Amino acid sequence: MYFDPRSLLFFGANALLLQLMLLLGSALSPWSVFPVLLGPMIIFPALYMRHSGYFFCTLCTGFWVDAALPVSFGLLTSVFLAIGAVTFFLRKRFRAEENHHPALLAHTANLIILIVLALNFAVGANSLFDFWIQTMLCAGLSHLLLLAIAPWFFNLQRLLIEMFHLDNKPEDLPLL
Amino acid sequence: MAKFRLDRYKPLVALGVFLAAWWIATPLVKSFLKISFTEFQAPSWVAVSHLDDLASFWARRSHSKVELIEAGKELEREKARYQIMAQRYDTLEEEISRLETMLEMPGRREFRHEIARVVRREQNAWWGRIIVRKGRNYGIRKGSAVVFSGGVVGRVRTVHAFTAEVDLVTSPDFRIAAQFEGDPRPIIYRGVLQKGFGKPSGEVQDVPQDLLASSSQPLKLVTTSLGGTFPAGLTIGNVDWLEPGSTGIFQSGSVRLDPRLVHLREVAILVPLEAGSPNHVF
Repeated sequence: MYFDPRSLLFFGANALLLQLMLLLGSALSPWSVFPVLLGPMIIFPALYMRHSGYFFCTLCTGFWVDAALPVSFGLLTSVFLAIGAVTFFLRKRFRAEENHHPALLAHTANLIILIVLALNFAVGANSLFDFWIQTMLCAGLSHLLLLAIAPWFFNLQRLLIEMFHLDNKPEDLPLL
Repeated sequence: MAKFRLDRYKPLVALGVFLAAWWIATPLVKSFLKISFTEFQAPSWVAVSHLDDLASFWARRSHSKVELIEAGKELEREKARYQIMAQRYDTLEEEISRLETMLEMPGRREFRHEIARVVRREQNAWWGRIIVRKGRNYGIRKGSAVVFSGGVVGRVRTVHAFTAEVDLVTSPDFRIAAQFEGDPRPIIYRGVLQKGFGKPSGEVQDVPQDLLASSSQPLKLVTTSLGGTFPAGLTIGNVDWLEPGSTGIFQSGSVRLDPRLVHLREVAILVPLEAGSPNHVF
């Protein structure tokens, strides 16, 4: 079976991003805001690797994130795989060599994850108005941060690929 | 006719297979995976916390000797004060034990306190919890009370090998029996959704109609020993205002919690002691 070492590299980068996200969340907790920066984790594995590598990386990332957050285990893994599957299915349409398409995809994926998280916790909320106001505040902050973090994260992943002398070309080139 | 490529649908098929497998998978498999991934990433949090301690240590080293001498003097005074208080505490404890024996009262629940460093804080619209740097390795148990100098912090939700998750008193999932200081009637306290950039708060329900609260004379909310988790008399917060509840029979109101709750660095976990253990705090 073909094993792509980039899947380990992407997984490591995702674990680092999660750690930074939670550190930031911890620092921002006095103001009751929490940045969700999970969108970029799904993009490069889906755009760069073959299906086996993408699936392994996204599955491990999903479990890793599920274990770190107080959501029902498997929820975010399923969401990651669903977003990843659609991205993988349409990946010939995106250019992974530059940051525009990955950043746009990261924002879309992050928004979907935010909506899933919000719906998951909205069921138990006692004041829905306050809940959605707070959720929108978190979403706004997350996407503002993502404007800076997503390009940095993609550049970091590319740099790591270069450093470890791995294949820096996506598996499928985009349709032009 | 264009060739129909099945391999294009591989990601969607794999997703379907995963969802079906996850749906069929037993709770044992899911639990095993969750514990494995949680324990695998716990050392990274413990390491970050130790690095934070190291940074604080080096920051303190930059203080001048004069500042350190002053701080030492201050600590000496505090220590002397606490030594006197400890003697008084022992005397009172003996007196209580003597009276309990005389009155043949049932034994109180005793706790030992385990000081734990806060590794991570999470307070948002969805959940409120802290992660502490002690777990099963220090005998922490699920459901144990967590306190600090300002009163109640929360309750241990999950215990891992080296860390534990604590549901904060502000979390919407947190709910305990409480009472107002000087009034033995039990009421219900629960955490509420925290407003962004606001101060920590909670909510009381089932407050009797005859109680009045105002900002000039707030009512102090304390724990009761009814639930068995918390010792009686620990501060939860203050209630500045009470209004008729939805039923009209009882009142409800907002609880102002200690603002230090959102900056916690260290907490005490109250681990229930078995009968006859000599080391206890409350």
